Amino acid sequence: MSGHSQQETGFIRAALGHPAFLAGLLLTALFVAAALVSFVWTPFDPEKMQIAAKLKGPSTEHWFGTDHFGRDVFSMLMVGARVSIAVAFVAVGIGIGFGVPLGLYAAANRNSLIDEIVMRGNDLIFAFPSLLLAILITAVFGPGAINAIIAIGIFNIPVFARLSRGAALSLWTREFILAARVAGKGAARISVEHILPNLMNLLIVQGTIQFSLAVLAEAGLAYVGLGAQPPTPSWGRMLAEAQTFISLAPHMALFPGLAIVLTVLGLNLLGDGLRDLHDPRIRRSRG
Amino acid sequence: MSVLSVRNLALSIGGTPILHDVDLSVEAGEILGVVGESGSGKSLTALSIMQLLPRSAKWAGEIEVAGNSIGAMNEKALCKMRGRDVAMIFQEPMTALNPVHTIGHQIAETILIHNECSRAQASERAAALMHRVGLDPKKISPDRYPHELSGGQRQRVAIAMAIALRPKLLIADEPTTALDVTTQAQILDLLRNLVKQDRMGMIFITHDLAVISNLADKIAVMRHGEVVEAGPTDTVFREMRHDYTRALFSASAHVPKREAHINADGEPVLAVDEVVREYARPRKSLFQASRPFRAVDSVTLKIRPGENVGLVGESGCGKSTLARAILALDRLQGGKILLNGRVFSQAGAGPDMRQRAGVQVVFQDPYGSFNPRHTVRRLVAEPLYLIENAPAGAEREAKITRALEEVGLQASDADKYIHEFSGGQRQRIAIARALIIEPSLIVLDEAVSALDVSIRAQILDLLASLSTRLGVSYLFISHDLSVVRSITDRVMVMREGRIVEEGTTEEVFLAPKHAYTKMLIAATPVLKAPAEA
Repeated sequence: MSGHSQQETGFIRAALGHPAFLAGLLLTALFVAAALVSFVWTPFDPEKMQIAAKLKGPSTEHWFGTDHFGRDVFSMLMVGARVSIAVAFVAVGIGIGFGVPLGLYAAANRNSLIDEIVMRGNDLIFAFPSLLLAILITAVFGPGAINAIIAIGIFNIPVFARLSRGAALSLWTREFILAARVAGKGAARISVEHILPNLMNLLIVQGTIQFSLAVLAEAGLAYVGLGAQPPTPSWGRMLAEAQTFISLAPHMALFPGLAIVLTVLGLNLLGDGLRDLHDPRIRRSRG
Repeated sequence: MSVLSVRNLALSIGGTPILHDVDLSVEAGEILGVVGESGSGKSLTALSIMQLLPRSAKWAGEIEVAGNSIGAMNEKALCKMRGRDVAMIFQEPMTALNPVHTIGHQIAETILIHNECSRAQASERAAALMHRVGLDPKKISPDRYPHELSGGQRQRVAIAMAIALRPKLLIADEPTTALDVTTQAQILDLLRNLVKQDRMGMIFITHDLAVISNLADKIAVMRHGEVVEAGPTDTVFREMRHDYTRALFSASAHVPKREAHINADGEPVLAVDEVVREYARPRKSLFQASRPFRAVDSVTLKIRPGENVGLVGESGCGKSTLARAILALDRLQGGKILLNGRVFSQAGAGPDMRQRAGVQVVFQDPYGSFNPRHTVRRLVAEPLYLIENAPAGAEREAKITRALEEVGLQASDADKYIHEFSGGQRQRIAIARALIIEPSLIVLDEAVSALDVSIRAQILDLLASLSTRLGVSYLFISHDLSVVRSITDRVMVMREGRIVEEGTTEEVFLAPKHAYTKMLIAATPVLKAPAEA
């Protein structure tokens, strides 16, 4: 239909007029690109130690300097981006994938036994410190990136379940939902067709917040040694190791720190922008 | 000395001109009615007087309150002026009161802000004020919270707060629009008396000509940010020099042309048989469940093909609950509902989905009835879901186009989003959505209550012509008796979950039998027909 392509060009035009969105997109794209390029090329082998060249500051050869084993920090950051982005992506995916359907299901069956069970189960996870669960999983399955992903992912489920249940509950009382019921649509169909699209901006905003929290959580888990295991580089562990040398080689902490901050910033800007662009009311008024 | 004089008021917000050349004056003890439709600038005129304008607003002209020019006042002087010289009452009594403070506290607070007196003295005066506005402090404790009061009582509290400091000017912005007719009549009486006793000036802003014709000493008719006609109420109504005043008047008293085409012998499109709807009340004790609240109590009614039936009653009488039951949105606790002779829903069973297509609905709120993220095409086509082998492709497009054209819109509107339409257009889209599967009955739940009079007249015309052309029946639910009178063949009056009176519309309105119907009709403000010159 011609109306559809018109809608898309409208979206692109609106996106170009949204500087925060563009900045977020650029930053995020930068880190995703770094992660992707690291599969085929890095300036140095990130796992190769050169004790002779340890703790060197930034130079034309080692752009971001070297660490205490003489490994190239820039190369390590590039490979570390893979872990950070993968962890955040999969963990938020788990959260949305399980949490949103649970929340919508609970809202569609509000005040029923099912609703109670789902929501009290969420409370249980919420009440449990995330680090403790991560340690538990690590104790059972051993440390590693996959287990960090699972631990962070589980903690994202109640966040999205509660958010979507709360918002869906208020939507269920709206007249357009009544109109859909009069049109004979069942709870599942209404949830997908009417509730979910109206939750989109909430989910996008919460998603980007959780995405950045997951990047931080992975860094935190790696910092205490529960994330990706050496020699796989990880932003969190790079920071942890840099702590010892903070006065000798501040660049070792600076660059991983900057990478985390800029990724989180980029994701947040991207999320805000997406929320605006997704809303037909805002999109039209901007265009 | 006049308590208010506004000369050449002009206002723009963010560069958009809103008001121009507005002249108003109010003497002590006088009621000025400001009439206009939404967007006419009547509320912003009030806010200009109060100087409660948004930041991007710029105004020019002369506003004098009790002889003092407002333009010369700083923020501190303005704060003193608000509440002491000018007070305001708003439309929605729930949101105008703070839900976390008791009503006594809120009235006393107004006194304390402007007066140096002890809290005990303020409370005493608050009690006296409650008495004045008809809330006996012995029966309605000042320790109650706003949610414990009815809408009318809340509006009385808001009035008590407004008159606490004996202001010289009272601005009432649609103060009775959210209230039932009987409550409205009481509040209007109260305001009229207060104005007389305190020799206040009052500006009464409303869209309702009938209300203003019985209340105001003089009126100003506003449109597009200017006063198009002003003068003593009688003169304005008699002469109606401006076209717009005439249009407003005829729209208010509009009776759509329609002819009854009831098929008396046909199977009733709707038969409601001894229907009971109950709500669970919160438990008072752990061991004993509370008796449920019976919102609809053994109601029986029939609607014949082509018949337009009105259901009137005040808020809380169960008319909307009955509508939801008829639409099978809620389960029944007793009785059954038949559509075209076949059981649609009954106690102890869910609705029969095959019958669903027989009834559709139009809701009151033109803004909340549509999913803002769908195009009109998708919104209008939604009920097609009910049809087995729903039409697709060109056939579906044709149906959508026909439904839109049927309600006076264009096929090209299908690609737009709902926020691009005005309230009246949205209500047309809601009607198109209801029509698309050609139901035999459309439930109109306060479908024109949120619309301006001129738009309301158009929608009523549309409904009347659709009913005549397509033979569809309506169940027209409204609290507005004059609208019901203009469009229905038969009317039912509902009170406390029961239908207390039923008859042909003319019969019920001309010779009501039940005391409650008589009271309702007496409380309804009547627009006096202009005396022929």
